[in-house]
Order: sequence, then C-alpha cells, then structure tokens
Amino acid sequence: MSWISVASARVRGLFKHKLLERELDDEVRFHLQMQIDDNLNAGMNATEARYAALRSFGAVESMKENYRERRAFVLIETTAQDLRYAARTLRKSPGFTITAIAVLALAVGANTAMFSVLNTVLLRPLPYRSPEQLAMLWTEDATQNLREGRSALWDVEQWRNQSRSFADMATFDAVNTTLTGSDGVEEIVGASISPNLLPLLGVRPVLGRSFSIEEAEQQQRLVLISYRFWQARFGGSHDALSATLVLNGLPYQIVGILPADFQIARLDADVWEPHRSRQTVRGAETWFVVGRLRPTVTFDQARAEMSAVARRVNDQLPAAERNRDITVVPLSLYMVGPQSRLALWILSGAVFCLLLIAAANVTSLSLARSVARAREMAVRAALGASAGRIVRQLLTEGVLLAAVSGLIGTLLAVVAIRLIRAFGPGNLPRLNEISLDLRVLGWALTISILAGILVGLLPAIAALRRDLRPSGEEGGRNVSGGAVTRRIRRALVVADFALAIVLLAGAGLLVRSWWYVNSIDPGFRSERVLMMELSAPPTFSIPAQRTELYHRMLGTIQAVPGVENAGIIGDLFIANNREQVVTVERDGETVSARLQFVGDEVSADFFKAIGTPLLRGRFFSIWDGRDAPPVAIINDAMARRSWPGHNPVGRRFKLGPRDSDRPWYTVVGVVGDMRRQGLEREPFPQMFVSLAQSPPPRNVDLFIRTSSDDPMALAGAVRAAVRRVEKNAPIYGVEPLEQQFGTYLAQRRFLTSLLTGFSLVALLMAAVGIYGLIQYSIATRTREIGIRMAVGAQAGEIFRMILSEGLKLSLIGLMLGLLEALWLGQAGSSLLFGVTPSDPLTFIVVSLLLIAVAVAACCFPARRAMKIEPIVALRQG
Amino acid sequence: MKNRRDEKADVLQGTLILLVLRTLDALGPLHGYGIARRIEQISKDVLQLNQGTLYPALLRMEQEGWIASKWGASDKNRRARFYSITSAGRKRLAKETEDWKRMSSTIERFLGFDPESLAEEGG
Repeated sequence: MSWISVASARVRGLFKHKLLERELDDEVRFHLQMQIDDNLNAGMNATEARYAALRSFGAVESMKENYRERRAFVLIETTAQDLRYAARTLRKSPGFTITAIAVLALAVGANTAMFSVLNTVLLRPLPYRSPEQLAMLWTEDATQNLREGRSALWDVEQWRNQSRSFADMATFDAVNTTLTGSDGVEEIVGASISPNLLPLLGVRPVLGRSFSIEEAEQQQRLVLISYRFWQARFGGSHDALSATLVLNGLPYQIVGILPADFQIARLDADVWEPHRSRQTVRGAETWFVVGRLRPTVTFDQARAEMSAVARRVNDQLPAAERNRDITVVPLSLYMVGPQSRLALWILSGAVFCLLLIAAANVTSLSLARSVARAREMAVRAALGASAGRIVRQLLTEGVLLAAVSGLIGTLLAVVAIRLIRAFGPGNLPRLNEISLDLRVLGWALTISILAGILVGLLPAIAALRRDLRPSGEEGGRNVSGGAVTRRIRRALVVADFALAIVLLAGAGLLVRSWWYVNSIDPGFRSERVLMMELSAPPTFSIPAQRTELYHRMLGTIQAVPGVENAGIIGDLFIANNREQVVTVERDGETVSARLQFVGDEVSADFFKAIGTPLLRGRFFSIWDGRDAPPVAIINDAMARRSWPGHNPVGRRFKLGPRDSDRPWYTVVGVVGDMRRQGLEREPFPQMFVSLAQSPPPRNVDLFIRTSSDDPMALAGAVRAAVRRVEKNAPIYGVEPLEQQFGTYLAQRRFLTSLLTGFSLVALLMAAVGIYGLIQYSIATRTREIGIRMAVGAQAGEIFRMILSEGLKLSLIGLMLGLLEALWLGQAGSSLLFGVTPSDPLTFIVVSLLLIAVAVAACCFPARRAMKIEPIVALRQG
Repeated sequence: MKNRRDEKADVLQGTLILLVLRTLDALGPLHGYGIARRIEQISKDVLQLNQGTLYPALLRMEQEGWIASKWGASDKNRRARFYSITSAGRKRLAKETEDWKRMSSTIERFLGFDPESLAEEGG
C-alpha cells in the first residue's frame, strides 16, 4: 500500500463523510449478523443470539464515536505530530536551522518587497473608473522631431467632433499660480483643466462639487482644491467650501475637495481651475489630452482612426503644421514608461533568481543533513514508518523552515518597503502608494511554500532512492554513501553559479553604464549653483519692459553677499527639440540646411554663472545693445557642423532660408556644448542671443552661482532681492542645479545599486553553497584522503584535487550562466549606456570575480584536507 | 504531554495491534469479524476482547499504513470489508514481535532468578 493511497483515504475522510458513515454502519451490521448466525448455529434461539452478539461486541454507539473521532482528527493529529517532531529536529541542529532561515528569509523578504513595488507600479489598476479605456493623445510631427507634443484646444475640439472611437476627451496642464495670503504672495502648484476631466476619469470630489461646463464657459472663477491642500490650509474643515482663494491676484471660490492622492498623468496640483481660454480660436497655448475609448474599441482601432482624423484636420492648419499626426498611448503605459517597466521586471527577475539560489543552498544543506540522518531514517523505517510517512516528515520540516522564514521575510519586506518609499527614485510613479496588500502577502505565502516544498522534496526523494535500508549502513562507514545526494548537490552548486553570474553580468553592465553616464561632462558646473524659475507679471507686456526688469533683478541679485554671478536663459532644459532651416555664410557663399536646432535668449553673465567655458571669441557685452548689429554666441556643435575646420567668429548666419526676412547674426563667441536634453543625449547645434537684442520670454530660468557649498542657504536672500525689484513677480522651483541631475540619475542609480546588491548577495550565497559542498565532500572522504596520503600523496596533490573538484563545478555554472546572460542582455539593452550587452570587459571581469570567489570558498576546506593525519583518518574509518 | 490513561490505552492497543498483524500475516485477508473470531479462538480464556474496540484499532492501523482494506463479498455473499497486511505492516510486526519477545524473556529472567543472585548481578 503506497503512501498516496493512505493520503487519499485521509482526504476522502475529510470530504466523503456520508459515504464513510454508511460504510461504518455496514461493517458493524455485517459483524453482528455474522455473530448472530454463528450463535444460531450454536443452538441459541433468535433473541438469545441477538443479545449475545450485542453483548460480545460492546457499546456500539460509543465505539462509533471513538471511530469517528479517530477518523476526523487523525490528519490534524499526525500533522501536529510531524510539526512537533520537525520543530524538535530543527532545534537540535541550530547551526543549520539559523543559516537556512536567515538565507530563506532574506530571499523571501527581497522578493516580497520587490513584488510590492511591481504590484503597485505596474499591476494595480490606476485609481479611475475603467482605467483600461483611458489614453493619452499626443500631437506628433516627424518633420519637426516633435514627439509626445501637447495640443491646442481648437485641435482637440476637432478631434472630438470627428472621431467615433472616443467617448470623450479632456485637457489639462500645470499653470504657474500664486496664492495671496495674509503674509504675502507664495507660489503653489496649480492646474488648469477642462470641466469634463473629472467626469471622464470617473472621479468625484469627496466634498462639494465639480464645476459645470456652463460655469467654465462663463469663465466663472471657481476652483477645486486637493485633499492635501485642504488638510494643510483648512485643517480638513467644511468651512473651506465657502472660502475664497486669491490666485494670481484674483478671487476664486472653492467649490469642492478632490480625493486624497488624486492626480492625473503625473500632474499633482494643489488647486484645479477650469481653462480660461476658449477653443473657438486656435491659440498658441497647448494642453495634455486624455481620452476615454468607447467600451468595445481597441487601441489599434483608435490609432487608425485618429491618424485619419489628423490628416483631415491638417488641411485646416497653417502650412508649417500640416505634417501632424495623432498618437494614442494607453494612460498606464504613459504613467510608467517602457524603461521603468523593463527595470522593474529585471529587478523582479533578479530577486527571483536570488530566491532560487537561496532555496538551492538550503536544499543542499538539508541534503547533507539527510545523509547524516540516514541512520535515523533507517531506524524509523525499521520501526514500521511507511515511506510516505518519512517523506511527509521531511516535507513538513521544509515547510516549517519556509514558514518561519516567510514570516521573518515578510517583516523584512515591511522594512524594505519603507526604505524604498523613503529613498526610491522620485520619478518612479505611484511610489507613495507602495504597500503590502493581499496580493503581495499571497505572493509571499506562495514563494515561501514553494521554497519549503523544494527544500523538503529533494531530501525526501533522495531518502526514497536510498531505499531506506534497515541495516543502518548509510550512516556508518560506507564511503560511497549518498551518491545520489551528492549528484543532486553538485547540480545545485552549478545552478547557483549559473544564476549568480547572470546577476553579476547584469550588474556589471549597469555599473559600467552608470560610470559612463557619470563621467559625461554636462557642459556646465552644477555645484554651488542655485536654480529658479521666474515669471514677469502680466503688466510687463512690452518686451523692452521685461528686458529692463530682468536687468534690474540681475543687478540686485548680484549685490547679495555670497552671490558670485547671476544669469538668465529662456529655458535651460529642453523637453522637445525642433528642426529648423539655418542659412550660414561659408567661403563666400550661403548654404541652407535643415538641422536640429534651438536658439535662446541669455543675459550677459549667463555662461559665467553656469560655468560653461568660452572656447573662442567673447561673451556678450553692454555694447551689444538694442541698436547695435545683431550678434550671437554659438555652441561647439554648431561650429563643427556649420563651419567645419574654420574659426566661426566673425561669420554670419540667419534663421530660415536664404530669402527669409530674419536678421543676419554675426558670431562673436563659441561656447562649450551643454547637454540640455539630459546626460544621455548628444548635444546638438544651438545659438544664444542677447536678452538686450531680442524680446525676452515671460518665463525664464535664473541661475545664481554662489560661494557657498549649500546654495539653498542663499535662496531667501535672492528671493527677497527679486521682491524688492518687483513684488508681484512669482518665483518657482527653487533648487540647487545639482538636484536636477540627481532626479535625473535617481532611477538609474536605484536600478544599478539594487541589482549590484542582489548580485553580490547571490555571489555570497553561491560561495557558501560551494563551500558547504566541498566541506562535506571532504568530510565523507576523510578515509580516502587518509589512504592517499598514507600511500605517499603529497599535501599539494590533495589540495589540487579538492580545488579542481570545486573549480570544475563553478566553471560549468559559469559557462551556462554566461550563455544565459548574453541572451538576457539583449532584452535589457535599452537600459545600458555606452556599453554593448555583450561587453567583453564586463564579462571577463565578472567571470574572474566569480572564479576568484569559488577558489577562495574551496581553499578553506582544501587547506583543512591537507592537514588530515593519515593515522587518525584511517582509525576513524 | 500524554496523560496516564492514554499510556495505558496505548499498551493495550499495542498488544491488539500485534495480534491483528500476526493474524493477518498468517491467514491473509480477513474481515473484522473473522479477525475477532480468530483472536478469541486462540486466546479465549486469557484475553477478553471487546469486539467493538477492534474497529477503531483497524482504522488507526490503516491510517498508519500497516494494513489495507477493500470491500468484497463474504462466504455467504454478504458485502464485507476485508483487511490485509502491507509491507510496512510486516516490518511493524517483526519489530513488535522482537520487542515482545525481548520484553517477555527479560521478565522471565527476572522471575527465574532468586533475589540474592539478582543483587549480585546488580553489584
């Protein structure tokens, strides 16, 4: 009778209660009937026979009760017995137990924490009604290199009228907003939205109401406030609904409070007001567009339809904008871009590898133990324990280990989640929502049980394969004992190394990328520089007024103690670049070319403030005034592109084709290239013109180079200086320039440091795994080694023999892992920078590292093997 | 953990198990009544078997995997459950038999010696 049928009988006992009751009745009735028949044959009369039978049987009901109890509780009871026994055995070998639990708990903790990130960022649906129907709609123009462009309200109105795929479309964007309170003007994050945005998303204010379309059209000054703002400013009081806010100098009536954590497409504002512009005239303002698909429409259908719509709308657009297209991107995909998704999946894969390595190691350890326990198993088998019972016992041990580890691991995950929330990259969306939920706990439970079964199952199989010989010879002197076990353990070590090298190679490639990204010269020196955005108040509508305002402000700021230089540029960081036709004078002729190009207005000291070097010529001076001939400073990329091999200073160029009515600029200086699109994008041709010679924009970036290592210390003084010049000029986004790069690099750093950490843990575990195997193999071969030494083997030979055993395994693992890493590298190549996925240097370095660790791990036991005294070894045998 | 009553029950049950295993080993598959009759026949005056206690014991032995059961037809063509010994059961029987023999021979030795020589052995 196999243990499977025992188990199935027990399980049947749990479910087929009625059938079993009837069987019991039948059995008792049969028994009594047989006894009655025998009694009748012995000559009793019918009544006597019946009474005698009942008498010899005893109390039928109490026996049935006994029987039922036994049937119902046996499963629980034997399980409890197994658990008690498992706990006792584990307590008896604390070294093994603590190691196993620590290793498994770490792996389970890392997996649970990583899965909770993955779950929140990628799997948990966005907090809107039917979020899978929501899409971002973008204006694109390949000819102008415009990607993910915002759209004019007029355009969106055409799209909405002409398309059938979308139930509705809404628009939104952040707007610069000031709040006038009792203690002056302050800048807050404001959003302007179309009134249908909230109904489209299926979001309702938690208190009050939203604004209606009519109210929005009448330009009523109504505003919704965020939950956070409500708590901070009104202490969550209902009085907020009757309150008025002075925004941008005008009173607004609060009509409602939005749900906590409400945001749309990364826009997280304090106050939300309806658009003030109308869609009847096509203005210059552009907005983000979100649409809701009709229920049965797919994204592909919507894309096809919107492309057709774009072609129709293009006919009504100005000539320069007739190449436009509309793209449709699922909102969830926009929220978390393909790079972040890939990074998260890679990290999740890495921690899963870690779990496999941990499980393999613990399995290996418990296999070693099971050989040592072969005698115990043989004794139990001799005592009549069925094979099933022994397998169950080993599985129970594995599951108990895993359960304890799972519990500790989950606690570790709680800590890790806090750390991730505190230190994770700020540009990872929904980071603040990361938490343990049922799905995460389910995952923790699943992997713990899987690990437990794995850890228990292999020793169980090995125990079965050993045939449970009752003689007890396995635990005794037999040198070849546990051959099956040893084969499995070797395979596990190979797997350890194969997985570890994959993680190491991945981490190595990312570290190299990180190193490249960090060694890039951005073209300016960001340390000690304070950055802020400045807006000229609406009263400064004439460009000359703004020029004068900015100059006065720069003068006042430069007088602040601790300020070395201050400069202004229209917009330092470029989100979208445009192509433009540029005509240059070269060798006596004019050449026109279409190139990726931007031009910006800068103040005289801008380059000094930001630390960009002058390569040739000069900076702007006070002589480059409004009435002087137009001059320009170009960057090195433009110098190389337009005047290769020549000094561009003194030469002329203009925007547009040869016959355009734009002015000719004379190049007066060449500055170094700046990476204004992010570190990883190559610089492209750029020109800079003087604030004095061209109309300055209303919003500018202000840079202040300070003499302090903490530029933020001067923020207050600079702000006061600006206010002294013009008290209504709002200031936004005050932060050290270095922080801009910090945010930019945060996600790469997050990925790189986590994967590096995981791979080092994996390497450590692999080292422990091979150490354990070699150690054990020496322990079982003490006698063999003793004999070898007794017949004249040198200590060095023994050392080499042990070492080569370990090296062989790690090299096999290395080869398998490298193949795997090459294959996986292709999939992750978009996360690399400056290195190819098969970068030879990285692969060689991590391979050497792995071999070095393997050798070191084998050396300790091998050295001990050298010191074996033949006499002692032989006597032991 | 176990209280005294349980211990006593275990001893009794242990003996019963030995008898059942021996019976099934010697006679092959039998139904419950057959097992009870056989035990009574052999030990009628010595062992007072309360037949009803047999069934919980049979259930436990089946759960331990020492015996297996199957429904079949009896001599008189009645539906009956037949029990048979398994290989784990034979191992158990061997072990129980050995234990029993060792125990009874030890007891015999004790009872056979006179008190004085017993004291000498102990010294």
